[in-house]
Amino acid sequence: MNTVRRDFLKGIAAVPFLGYFAFAFKENINKEISAKSKNLYETLKIRQLDAPGAKLLPPTGNDGNRLRIGLVGNGWRGEQLLKSLGYVHPEFIKQNTVDGKFTKRLQDFLDQEDLNIEFAGVCDTFDVRVQRGVEISTGGLGPGGKTNTSAPAKVFPSYREMVDSDEIDAILIATPDHTHTQIAIAAAKAGKHVYLEKPMTHSIEEAVELKKVIKSTGVVFQLGHENRQQMSFKIARELYQKGVLGDVSIVQTFTNRNTVFGAWIRDDAFDHKLGNRDNIDWKEFLAGAPWHEFDRKRYFSWQRYSDYGTSVTGNDFSHRYDCVNQILELGIPETVVALGGQHYYKTHGDMPDVLSAVFHYPKRKLTMTYDCSLKNSIYRQSKILGSEASMDVDRAIMLYKDGNSERYADIQANPSDPMYYYEPNTGIDAISSATSQAYIKGGYGPTYIDGKVIDATLLHLKEWIDAIRGHGKTSCNIDVGFEEAVTFNLANLAYVNKKPVIWDSVNEKAIVG
Amino acid sequence: MKRGKIEHSYSDWQVFALTFLRVLIGWHFLYEGLVKIYTPGWTAKGYLLGSAGPFALLFKSMAQSEFILNLVDLFNEWGLVLIGLSLFIGLFSKPSKIIGIVLLSLYYLAYPPFPGLGENINVEGNYWIVNKNLIEIAALILLSVFPSSFVTGFDRFLTSAKKKEKYDKQKEILQT
Repeated sequence: MNTVRRDFLKGIAAVPFLGYFAFAFKENINKEISAKSKNLYETLKIRQLDAPGAKLLPPTGNDGNRLRIGLVGNGWRGEQLLKSLGYVHPEFIKQNTVDGKFTKRLQDFLDQEDLNIEFAGVCDTFDVRVQRGVEISTGGLGPGGKTNTSAPAKVFPSYREMVDSDEIDAILIATPDHTHTQIAIAAAKAGKHVYLEKPMTHSIEEAVELKKVIKSTGVVFQLGHENRQQMSFKIARELYQKGVLGDVSIVQTFTNRNTVFGAWIRDDAFDHKLGNRDNIDWKEFLAGAPWHEFDRKRYFSWQRYSDYGTSVTGNDFSHRYDCVNQILELGIPETVVALGGQHYYKTHGDMPDVLSAVFHYPKRKLTMTYDCSLKNSIYRQSKILGSEASMDVDRAIMLYKDGNSERYADIQANPSDPMYYYEPNTGIDAISSATSQAYIKGGYGPTYIDGKVIDATLLHLKEWIDAIRGHGKTSCNIDVGFEEAVTFNLANLAYVNKKPVIWDSVNEKAIVG
Repeated sequence: MKRGKIEHSYSDWQVFALTFLRVLIGWHFLYEGLVKIYTPGWTAKGYLLGSAGPFALLFKSMAQSEFILNLVDLFNEWGLVLIGLSLFIGLFSKPSKIIGIVLLSLYYLAYPPFPGLGENINVEGNYWIVNKNLIEIAALILLSVFPSSFVTGFDRFLTSAKKKEKYDKQKEILQT
């Protein structure tokens, strides 16, 4: 009997512990779960978030409104725009067809929305790119089951003939910065709608002039900051407007790159090795810039030369600025200072590779800073520092409560752990280079809307095309484009003059010193 | 005495140590499972979508199908609870350890602590190849080759009289 009892007790040795577990866990688990799953809106003290529920506009194209689009500048970016419009090079289709099957990349392209446009004309100062544009126009497969095999895009000797042509309804401009204004103005005056790549203009004077022309002609204008379509910025904007951040006192923006390509030295990148005096229209490239002998470096790495490019501020800060500008509606700063230098990449141009700029917005009681290094590639999101919470924002959002916040005094979250985290699932393919990783992370790649993953550039072009067809308005219009152009150009003036620069908003002029 | 039979002759401290470990792991599984069941609308979706490493695509694809995701959720919630209970009281201990090892291996592979995968919001601590999941896997392997449930668990009552006799006999031999 004794053995049996001892046997039995041994067998149930662990049961008392289970008893304790059962007895005590209920209370503990409720505490833990309520802490974990505390309603997000309750945590943020807002009633709801509307942005994530945004719907896509259904396709606006039909047989009667096919838009004939001309492309000025079929470079790297120009070709990306064409892909979003539904046109790729036959090479792309060949490379992405394996044993008669399409790769995911090609399938994604074929599945994208057909914007119902025709790639009708192309011009470029580099013959190789003109030829490639023509090949793309008859590339073969396209979205919506169509085949792009009809008439090839018409080659125009320059943008002047293109904007005057009655075979073109609207134009895309993806040329060096110093030619943006003249092409956009010529197009608008000829009644052609304009999609202009960023940054908007090479100078403040040009921005003033372009704004005047766009407004007076009434053409549909979109500046190419596709991040306007990124869901994270729309959510961030709503969070800010609903008071989640409190009073914003500092906005920080960054550029960090550490490669020659990232520093915009691109003489031998892509197909640039093919370029020479005979296949480049050097005079047309120079346009209004000071005369200089033919120089491959200047042509292919134009971003680094202030004669043509707009420095790191136009190249990259303009992106970051437009992101925070759409969240906070900052507009143009009153005063800007900037210091830095060209310390590392001295073989090309006059562009600084280390730069820090401060933009003061006294009416908004805040400053915005921009730090750029082309000799360090740490990844930094833009930061918005508020009295109640701080926000790291790119294609994701991380929100941290402030240690001394009153609004969130009752929230137990550690200020170093995000109390709100948003990151869309965009199922992106493996990304190769550091620059393209930063591009995707920065929010310039795919976004998530209406249950779908869609490239932001496609949405941005769609918004422009829909607006031309009378549906909705462009989000990166001439007014916010003007704010972008003036803001980064003020920083460039401050850097070049080594003096504070003040914005005279009445006369729309920069005052140096 | 044959080496393979050594488990039939644990010392009291060995029985205690093995039981202690078994109950702790049972406790952990049970609580993990119950938290998931008690959390309204709990789903493994976010965890799967955030997966990193060589098997990330597989885990992500699980979250794409509603049907598979529901299965994964159910398996996680009730799998954890049943394995936890089983280890706790020592009932059907062997199969539950094996299923436990499978579950933990999946967690391990979904977020493998391999260099170069970068930071991940879903994992804490600093690990290189070895993390807590892997250590818990090793502990379950250890427990399945050194079982204790037939001494300090309900499995004791299921163990055939013959086996028990053998155990008692060997213990007697050792003690003499």
